[in-house]
Amino acid sequence: MNKSQFLSEMERHLSRLSIDEKDDILQDYEEYFSIGIEEGKTETEIATSLGSPKQLAKELLANYHIEKMETTTTTRNMFRAVWAVIGLGFVNLVIVLGPFLVVLSLLLAGWITGVAGVLSPLLVIVNTIVNPDIFEWYDVFFSLAFCGIGLFILIGMYYASNSVKNVFLRYLKFNLSIVKGGTNHG
Amino acid sequence: MTALNVQFKKGVLELCVLVLLDKKDRYGYELVQKISNQIEISEGTVYPLLRRLTKEEYFTTYLQESSEGPSRKYYRLTDKGRIYLHQLVGEWKEFSEGVNQLIKEGINHE
Repeated sequence: MNKSQFLSEMERHLSRLSIDEKDDILQDYEEYFSIGIEEGKTETEIATSLGSPKQLAKELLANYHIEKMETTTTTRNMFRAVWAVIGLGFVNLVIVLGPFLVVLSLLLAGWITGVAGVLSPLLVIVNTIVNPDIFEWYDVFFSLAFCGIGLFILIGMYYASNSVKNVFLRYLKFNLSIVKGGTNHG
Repeated sequence: MTALNVQFKKGVLELCVLVLLDKKDRYGYELVQKISNQIEISEGTVYPLLRRLTKEEYFTTYLQESSEGPSRKYYRLTDKGRIYLHQLVGEWKEFSEGVNQLIKEGINHE
């Protein structure tokens, strides 16, 4: 692989990035090639020592998505960051996707419980309208209590979701620095 | 290359780059060569690392003309980066002393 093959393959894999970002990255590698050539290396030698452009692009994309998740956290950005890290290799599939799904389902369960609690008085009202003859006062009291508990759960879930997001962000970054590393066969 | 080796290196690479920039500003190629003289690495992975650490504000960059060819991008360690470096060096010393001690004890008992 020569310089232009290396750079164009990298460019192809980085097509998701903004033009500025992409140019900046390609410029770094171009600089690397030109200094290497000054020192008497061949383009092929340099390309080989750099490693696979595809793998490098994956790593750069993972960086980019995590950074994006940090600045604006939307569910979409979060999923992209998770996918990008998973894409780095098989190990990441196990140690990233597993915890992610577990934590996500726990959060989801919490939110559903909270919402159900808050809405329970509404259910009592609906029930009373549909079946007026089975109305019991204790349903009302219980549902009001559930509503209160539900509100607390929702407030708690709000903070829990935020801290989970931050912890997960750190975990993704940690993965980036530990897992896929050193050489291109890993 | 064993899996352990690969995982180790990636984490240590960060430390190596920070240490190299503590003394003076350097450009990317120089950093890569300095490291690959000592440790076998895939040279391309240093750049994603440099970008990440620059975005974390551990480095600033500037371009400087070179007598031999096109201008080069230099990396300079920030105060924030220096604090992080000292933290990493501390962790590394503790870690490596621990492992060395275990190796020493292990070999003595053989």
